[in-house]
Amino acid sequence: MTREITLSKAVNEAIAEEMRRDPSVFLIGEDVAEAGTPFKVLSGLVDEFGPERVIDTPISEPGFVGMAVGAAMTGTRPIVDLMFGDFLYLVMDQLCNQAAKQHYMSGGKLSVPMVLRTNLGATRRSAAQHSQSLHALVAHIPGLKVAMPSSAYEAKGLMKTAIRDDNPVVIFEDKLMYQDKAPVPEEEYLIPFGAANVLREGRDITLVATSSMVQVAAKAAEALSAEGISAEVIDPRTLVPFDEATVVESVRKTSRAIVIDEGHRNFGVTGEIASRISEKAFYHLDYPVQRLGAMDVPVPFSPALEDLTVPTPEAVAKAARRAVRGEVADAA
Amino acid sequence: MAAQAAKKTGGSRSGKEGGAAKAAKANTEDYLRMYRQMVKIRAFEDQANQLYLSAKMPGLTHMYSGQEAVAVGICEALTDEDRITSTHRGHGHCVAKGAEFRQMFCELLGREEGYCRGKGGSMHIADQAHGNLGANAIVGGSMGIATGAALSAKLQGSDFVTVCFFGDGATAQGLWYEVMNMAALWKLPVIYACENNGYSEYTRTDEIAAGSLTARAEAFGIEAHRVDGQEVLAVNELAQRLVERARHGEGPFFVELDTYRYHGHHVGDINRDYYRSKDEEAEWKERRDPIVNFGKWLEAEGILSADDLVAIGDEIRAEAEAAVAYALNASYPEAGEVDMHVFAGVDHALPYIDGYAKGAGA
Amino acid sequence: MPHEVIMPALGMAQDSGVIVSWLKNPGDPVKTGDALMEVETDKATMEVEAAHDGYLADVRAGAGDSVPVGQIVAIISETAERAGAAPVETGAERPAPAGSPAQGGPGAVPEGHEVIMPALGMAQDSGVVVAWHKEAGEAVAEGDALLEVETDKATMEVEADRAGYLAAILAEAGDDVPVGQVIAVISAEAPEAPIRRAMAAAPQAEAPAPKAAPAARAEPAPPPVPARTAPPTPRPAAGPKPAGRVLASPRARRLAAEEGLDLADLVAAGHAPPFHVADLETLRALPKAAPAQAAAGAGAVGVVSAEVDAAAFDAFRAWLQEEGTAPSSPRLLAAFAAGALRAAREHAGPLTVAAGTLGTTTAWNDPDRAPVSADLPESDARPELILRDLTGTALTGIKPAAAPVPVVTITRRGDTLALHLAHDATLPEEAALALLSGLADRLQEPLRHLL
Repeated sequence: MTREITLSKAVNEAIAEEMRRDPSVFLIGEDVAEAGTPFKVLSGLVDEFGPERVIDTPISEPGFVGMAVGAAMTGTRPIVDLMFGDFLYLVMDQLCNQAAKQHYMSGGKLSVPMVLRTNLGATRRSAAQHSQSLHALVAHIPGLKVAMPSSAYEAKGLMKTAIRDDNPVVIFEDKLMYQDKAPVPEEEYLIPFGAANVLREGRDITLVATSSMVQVAAKAAEALSAEGISAEVIDPRTLVPFDEATVVESVRKTSRAIVIDEGHRNFGVTGEIASRISEKAFYHLDYPVQRLGAMDVPVPFSPALEDLTVPTPEAVAKAARRAVRGEVADAA
Repeated sequence: MAAQAAKKTGGSRSGKEGGAAKAAKANTEDYLRMYRQMVKIRAFEDQANQLYLSAKMPGLTHMYSGQEAVAVGICEALTDEDRITSTHRGHGHCVAKGAEFRQMFCELLGREEGYCRGKGGSMHIADQAHGNLGANAIVGGSMGIATGAALSAKLQGSDFVTVCFFGDGATAQGLWYEVMNMAALWKLPVIYACENNGYSEYTRTDEIAAGSLTARAEAFGIEAHRVDGQEVLAVNELAQRLVERARHGEGPFFVELDTYRYHGHHVGDINRDYYRSKDEEAEWKERRDPIVNFGKWLEAEGILSADDLVAIGDEIRAEAEAAVAYALNASYPEAGEVDMHVFAGVDHALPYIDGYAKGAGA
Repeated sequence: MPHEVIMPALGMAQDSGVIVSWLKNPGDPVKTGDALMEVETDKATMEVEAAHDGYLADVRAGAGDSVPVGQIVAIISETAERAGAAPVETGAERPAPAGSPAQGGPGAVPEGHEVIMPALGMAQDSGVVVAWHKEAGEAVAEGDALLEVETDKATMEVEADRAGYLAAILAEAGDDVPVGQVIAVISAEAPEAPIRRAMAAAPQAEAPAPKAAPAARAEPAPPPVPARTAPPTPRPAAGPKPAGRVLASPRARRLAAEEGLDLADLVAAGHAPPFHVADLETLRALPKAAPAQAAAGAGAVGVVSAEVDAAAFDAFRAWLQEEGTAPSSPRLLAAFAAGALRAAREHAGPLTVAAGTLGTTTAWNDPDRAPVSADLPESDARPELILRDLTGTALTGIKPAAAPVPVVTITRRGDTLALHLAHDATLPEEAALALLSGLADRLQEPLRHLL
């Protein structure tokens, strides 16, 4: 049976199911209990699992992330709620120096089965410190897995996989999508890491998009289809591990690619994926791989400015048209 | 050293007037074990120092010599199930928690048989079998881990206690105040053991620490103690009491242990005149050495003879030398290990992160 | 088992240390923790302590000696009698110590505890012996100042780390001794023949750096400076160098290669790069090139080819540039070609030659008869020769198609110009050979033909 539920509800269900299944799973973070987070994603969980397993913390991000690392190393499976992705900067030592490296530094003796769930996405008029998409920061660090759900269905399946993973997993939810509904089966399912989802098959161009940008790419593909351009849309689902083969195979077929991600374009996810395509599908490329990312400026507050900084379906379609027509790219 | 005005200064008694201490540890086997453990740490560090000085050991290392009574006094109050987190100056904690010379030296030398298969080195030895969650090269970096381990014990309904070792320098890290707050709020079974050796790297502690360290813990409602870290019986007696109380939900606790590191901040920190005098070093070494003084006490109590003490030293030194010789001839890890142990459940990380190999489960 | 005393690594990036002075004499009893010697590095001076109890023996470096890190500077032997008797097993990682005292024989360094030049700082190589405070053969007590060592930072006393007799002094005042090198030997018993000598007198002056030490500092020899006996080859003064490739997408390039298509044909046909897969349609539709038509017989094309070194032509253009007249390459080539054609046909009348690069062609009347700097008017006359100057393009070769008038195509590959003349019966073969040969001559000796 499949019903339509919001992304928020999907995350809530995933966590609840895993907490029922495994008593070592617990939630920790700021206002995760009665408040259920500012986005109300976790509402109701404290009622079922009690304050022992849904733990409200002081506003001490490094403190509770560090504690989650220690708890994970000693037999429990914490899910840490980091209220905004922007707060990653506060917890970098605990996440990148401690969680990411324990297994390696101990030669495999210690492991850190924890999930850090946080969010990304601009255009909520939240300005520069509550709007960033910082997944590239953690995807850069060996030892961390990074998941990027793009719908309610994806969010539930990836969250359940993340909770069962024996490693630190950072999962980014798009805070603009919490109320977006999608069909989600009532039956249990998991989405494996490292297996990209081909949302739409196409002939002429491959659109590789992550998280918030998957719907942007899908809309662009729809518009392009009306013009006779057949676009393939791929959602990698996880950045670490990254399903390189699916992306490369697609680009070998279509010979063109655009990578769309809401992180800043500069030295980020789009550059990484574009580079992999260039390395593995070079002799199949008929056009330089294009990148669309967040504009390389701090996210502005004014709606008039903020909306300029995020890739749109129109921008994706425009870039795709140019590529398919072979309009001379900058590189030429 | 920071001026201190601790209200509760538990168990700071001299070993020579050890009547009460004796009551706390009436078993001579325990005394012998504590003595041997301290000698083991010293022997380990002497060898490690030589390995480094002779350029046989790669990297950087920090000597624990002089602080042995802290690690031993506390760890002797713990079981293998109790956990510790350690620091960059962590060899002493590691030995005191039960680690073996061979695997430790192998780790220091980057050999496959090391505790961490040579991937951690001096600053990252972890010995999970004995509850050592690992040394940490970030000053104060393990405070969250230790507190989290205590949280985990509480969640699991176990009575395991976690001791978080850190130095006076780490008290300047904000993380400590965050986790002390939570530990106090949730009455976690964690003991924050601050080894105040008087120096924060190359700077006198009273230049970096305002007020009193014990008062900082007390501000969170945490019971704080200050003890002479050179007196192993005093440390152990206090640790026994606090560990027992922490097991019964009376934690957390803070203990400041006054101690002294004989070497520089790291091996190679040789010209120390600008931050501490040779007279000061000599004073601690000659009058306050934890091993010498405890040995004298054991002799005075008739537990060991002078010959016994020498024999123990010789035996352990020989053991350490043999372990070094073994480690020097031990194999390095195979090159293929370089991308192993990046992820649990994943054999080799490189094909995995590119999506060409599936991990276990996921 | 005797223990080695080695030049320690005292800092994060230190290669060697200088023994300032020995604090123990050969033969001195030493206890663990005794200061053996003072060592200086560029950062500091420090005492090196004994790691074992025993007797200082086999001191292999003296005050002032700069000793590489990891090198043995002395031995601590277990017994006074055995001091220095048993050579220490050196591990595989360790080369033989420097200045290793010869075993036995006259003048041999007495056995005993080696005193080395200590490393006193993080990046110190050596120390200079200032003065010995003890004489060879003299009894020394533990803690006695053996010698004074100077480094760039400080002067330090090296103390005896054991009691005994200073059996050998192996470096004299003024000697700059590498860190770790033995500078003295302290023997347990009074030596029969104490030795005192300067470092240079040691049997072996230098030892290879130990394997474990940081990389040797030897710098690679500077690359030889090329002798500038001849002026550089003249280069074209203006115009971009051809990139050597037709710009095309990797996929278009791959597919073209698989189909045996030459993307250069698209350029020759006047299409602008870069090319994408879609352009391959156009390429496939282009008329098939020379070989097929040559086989056709009627209207068959003759092709004459030549290759000449471009150096003279380049130098000539450079010279023109310096003179302030810089005719375009097609203009210049048109002049040469017209001259060659005129000679080949023994023709004195007006001659129209069209020349150009890709896409642009200009016709001139008698371009060989006006100075190359002259601004010739364009001609509307039907050209009797067409010259395609592709030297500025990526094209390197061509199989010319039949043309109503003779066509000379000039391409360039590196420093070689390739000339191809395509002609039909209107230009007899004899004349064609003469034309191309004459053009080649002119390109090789432009001045002679122009003046």
